[in-house]
Amino acid sequence: MAPTTAVSPPALPWLRSARPLMMLGLGVLVLVAPWLGLGDYWSRQFILIAILALVVSGLNISLGYAGELALGQVALYAVGAYVAGYLAVSQGVTDILLCLLAAIGGAIVVGFVSGIPGLRLGGWSLAMVTFFLVIIIPNVLDLLSSQTGGALGLSGIPIPTIFGAQLVGDGFYVFVIAVTIIWFAIFRNLISSSHGDAFLVLKQSPILAATLGISVYRLKLLAYVVGAIPAGIAGVLFAFLSAYISPSSFAFALAFTILTASVVGGSQSIYGAIFGAAILQLGPERIASFQNYSLIVYGAFLVVAGLVFSDGIAGLIRSGLSQARRRGWLSGAAPIDTVGPLAVADAAVPTAVDEAAVGPLAGATTVSTPADETAAVIGDLAGEALTVTELRKDFGGVTAVDDVTLEAVPGQVTALIGPNGSGKTTLLNLVCGFYKPTSGSVRLGQVELGGLAPYRSARAGVARTFQTPLIPKGMRARAFVATGRYISHRVSMPASILRLPSFWRGSRDSDAEALRLLTLLGIAHVADSEVASLPLGTRRLVEVARALAAEPKVFLFDEVGSGLDEEDIQRLEEAIELIRRAGGTVVLVEHNFPLVLKIADRIHVLSQGALIASGTPSEIQANRRVLEEYTGSSDTADTIEELERADAAPGPPPAEPR
Amino acid sequence: MLTVDSIAGGYGDIQVLWGVSASVEAGHVTVVLGRNGAGKSSLLNAVAGFLPTVRSGHVRLGDLELGRLTPFERVRAGLAYVQEGKRVFHRRTVEENLLLGGYTVKRPFLRRGQRLQASVDRAYERFPMLADRRKMTAGRLSGGQQQMLAIAQALIPEPTVLMLDEPSAGLAPAVAKEVFAMVENLKREGLAVLLVEQVVDNALAIADDVIVIDAGRVAASGRVADFDDTTMVRDLYLGRSGAGPGESHGRAPGRSGS
Amino acid sequence: MTTLWSGLADGALYALVGVGYNIVLLASGVFNFANAQLIMLGTYLAYFAAVTLKLPLVPTVLIGAAAVALIAVAEERLAIRPLMGRRDSHATLITSVGVAVALDGIVLRIWGSQPKSVPAPLSSKPLNLLGGTIEPTALLLIVLVIVVGVGLHILSKKTMIGLGSLASAEDREAAMARGVNVRALAIGAFALAGLIAGAFGVVVGSGTYANPGLGDNLALFGFVAIAIGGSGSQIGSLIGGFATGIIYAEVSRYTNADWPQIVVFALFLLILLTRPRGLFGGAVERQV
Repeated sequence: MAPTTAVSPPALPWLRSARPLMMLGLGVLVLVAPWLGLGDYWSRQFILIAILALVVSGLNISLGYAGELALGQVALYAVGAYVAGYLAVSQGVTDILLCLLAAIGGAIVVGFVSGIPGLRLGGWSLAMVTFFLVIIIPNVLDLLSSQTGGALGLSGIPIPTIFGAQLVGDGFYVFVIAVTIIWFAIFRNLISSSHGDAFLVLKQSPILAATLGISVYRLKLLAYVVGAIPAGIAGVLFAFLSAYISPSSFAFALAFTILTASVVGGSQSIYGAIFGAAILQLGPERIASFQNYSLIVYGAFLVVAGLVFSDGIAGLIRSGLSQARRRGWLSGAAPIDTVGPLAVADAAVPTAVDEAAVGPLAGATTVSTPADETAAVIGDLAGEALTVTELRKDFGGVTAVDDVTLEAVPGQVTALIGPNGSGKTTLLNLVCGFYKPTSGSVRLGQVELGGLAPYRSARAGVARTFQTPLIPKGMRARAFVATGRYISHRVSMPASILRLPSFWRGSRDSDAEALRLLTLLGIAHVADSEVASLPLGTRRLVEVARALAAEPKVFLFDEVGSGLDEEDIQRLEEAIELIRRAGGTVVLVEHNFPLVLKIADRIHVLSQGALIASGTPSEIQANRRVLEEYTGSSDTADTIEELERADAAPGPPPAEPR
Repeated sequence: MLTVDSIAGGYGDIQVLWGVSASVEAGHVTVVLGRNGAGKSSLLNAVAGFLPTVRSGHVRLGDLELGRLTPFERVRAGLAYVQEGKRVFHRRTVEENLLLGGYTVKRPFLRRGQRLQASVDRAYERFPMLADRRKMTAGRLSGGQQQMLAIAQALIPEPTVLMLDEPSAGLAPAVAKEVFAMVENLKREGLAVLLVEQVVDNALAIADDVIVIDAGRVAASGRVADFDDTTMVRDLYLGRSGAGPGESHGRAPGRSGS
Repeated sequence: MTTLWSGLADGALYALVGVGYNIVLLASGVFNFANAQLIMLGTYLAYFAAVTLKLPLVPTVLIGAAAVALIAVAEERLAIRPLMGRRDSHATLITSVGVAVALDGIVLRIWGSQPKSVPAPLSSKPLNLLGGTIEPTALLLIVLVIVVGVGLHILSKKTMIGLGSLASAEDREAAMARGVNVRALAIGAFALAGLIAGAFGVVVGSGTYANPGLGDNLALFGFVAIAIGGSGSQIGSLIGGFATGIIYAEVSRYTNADWPQIVVFALFLLILLTRPRGLFGGAVERQV
């Protein structure tokens, strides 16, 4: 439970906004370096660094952002190199742009072929599949030896051309650097868009991703395949640089060099790939001068690099910056930053943010707007009726939900109560698609939800919050709330990469909407704080805002009140009231009986998977059986043992992989 | 029994506790109240040895100074800690979870030590619903049962001090009542209980002493009986009023900078 | 049958590496890539003790076991422990590879690149068994690996230490709260893995020689064994290792050298699509 690195700090805002420009400037400088007196040795080193950086950046997309360890970059790199080599040697195609296109195509194909089986199952399998992919490279090359030269390699790769002109010397250098700059611009634009946020959600919580309407499998596959593109490009550049390629250029050791460069530079970073590549390119070069001891020194270098840069150079710089800021060496930290990025980002540890820093958050109910006015602001939430008909779920002989029929209508709060293990959360999971019903139906308006994949239920209009708020680390409140709109107000990937007007419009709207919703819930002041470091009550409100952002047809709130203090509960109550007034459909699972009595229009009581009572709060309050079984207020209260007989049902939502 | 003397610390550079003192006697319950994020769980973490940075202060169990001990040595010394969120081992069976609770009782190799088995059997007597589910993996238990299992697990080594972090969170009212009844029983058996709770009334009903923490400092503390009205405690913990009776420390002044 | 025997003998090596990976993986959730290098080191120490120092068998085994265990513990202390308790970090992959590379370098520096022959503990006269021939030492290797694998399986299922290590792999902090000394478990796991690697030095080395390429080669195949058998299961790594050995031996008998690798890959994909966690996996979730 060590404190983890927080978000890249918004401290030094000028630095943040100027960073792309600075990097571009640096890139241009490198581009013209040959005319500034860069020698042959260094220009070759720069090219090699650029090539390695391209390969590493692809790994960063899948490992750092989408959270999948892929060892196969080497194979994709080899595909690029051999496609170019084959075209140039056997087919006489030397046009480098044509070769790049063909290589990208080849890398994408191999990416799909290895990614589909590898990602279908999640967990270790991608690492394993890509591991095999790398170790069979020499065998496959050998089997195709008439095209690839087998173990002997492919020699005599001609000088590449571009529009008929030969690319040699400085020309080739400029081409490589320009391609690298263009790729990193694409990479950066992709990551600093809603898609980058979606990747982060995907990495930390596949369940949350599905709840947002994201198909986990497809987005991971997409990330992995996008990561294949720079590897393919790098392969072409390498083939033309060295004019000779052989299986030994693509040995398994290279997979580790790439992984090390990624980790050393910081997997979850954009430009870290360049630094990591530079260190891994130049370091071993120096180490070779130790001759007999070079392996030992290289091993020690890896150990030290792993220890020192375990969060990457980017992480090292971040923690250095925050250290400096704390010691007062740097000014310019926005006051809110003291709450945000510095606080411990671990949801499991209750983050005690001190009074001074939290300031307005601790005491204030001040921001609460009069309900009528806000109802106008929230506008019409097009709620739809959620109809559950004779829904049943068996888990290996145990009935967790037993022919339940109920309806939740727009403009009302429908509460589900019952002892632990009575099937409430299972019911929510059936609505969300995490479980498939054994029989019966779940309808939202006219749409049948039963049996849909979670992301499809979400797209049909189901929004949900969780017993333990699911909040990715390293995300600010406004970005987190905006993820609710990822599917409903989608900006395409090409538009994001090319920064088309639709991208600017989309991100401006999402940001404004996120801020508006946070204001509505009275927590606008945390908009720039890291969500994971906020107190539980505030995190729940942020989750409610995230649910609102999706403009869903039904809201499912799972134990929103649990673990909250009385003041937080009051805020939440106001938020739910707002949604109800705006015509939203609200389903509430809650143990706080007084709260339920207060805000629910209709209460359904579950026990051992079956509905034992339904009615208005006053009816439920008068129901003797409910009081006995649920609140235990009668003298004849059952033992827990009897109360929870139906508990074999897996109560909590599907466990998050740790 | 357990004495915490002006402990200060936090997570690396982030200080969370600013000199918190607390104590609990055998056969007593001390309840720690406070808003979310006030530092309640951090206090328990500090006692259990999980707070990454402890800058100053002492934790004593009887005559034993715990400060330099690792978390597992503290367990061996008689401290039991039931963490927030029903943290049992979901992939292990109920029986295995209970056996794990006795890890310090019978460390050597074979699982079936007689003494350990006797402790496990006692746990089954105390929590009969666990006995019916020995072979079930803990992940399949309901929330209430997991909480009971977590407590049963912590009791196996026969500790002298039990710390509970929000044991009633996420439990149906009837089950929460059972949990509180259980705590009361344990207190009667002579255990010292340090309890962090969010549900003020239930907690005060079984507590002997109360400590209110606000922003990492003790806002008030004293015997429950001395607070003649629970609303006063509530106001205090929500930071609405000045001080309470007893040996009140007054409200913590706002801290500038961080 | 002779092919099958030699496949089993190779498979025993892969299984041995897989077993070592699993010991550490089960106790601390770390993938120790240097494990194969520890076995390689064991073969060199066997050569050193038996040939250079001319010691008899028992002290040779003891010295190998003790020395390699010590080195494994040093690895844990220097390269692994500082990174424990951090999530989302792949740094232990890199540091353990670093240790592996350094061990390769040390071996090359001390003993050079020429393979060294390690005297066989049993007679080298091949046995006729079930219609094939096998060297007695190879048979001993197969038997010992099975004994160790099954023994560790029982240890992990039946003892408090095994239970404690399963618990700490699932939730390290909660295990600490129950009094499990997770640090000692991690050290113990590395020591045990080193002890086994060192003790096998003689038996392994007499078949493979002490050679500097052994580590890298075994590391790959050990990984294959785990991929097929499922990480976290000792029985799985036995079966994965032996299956890999047999497939290689049988396939390369009928085809050229390129195919065994590809056939194993195909088999792995097949297992992946039918048994997602490997044949016997399931105890440990994604750790890498």
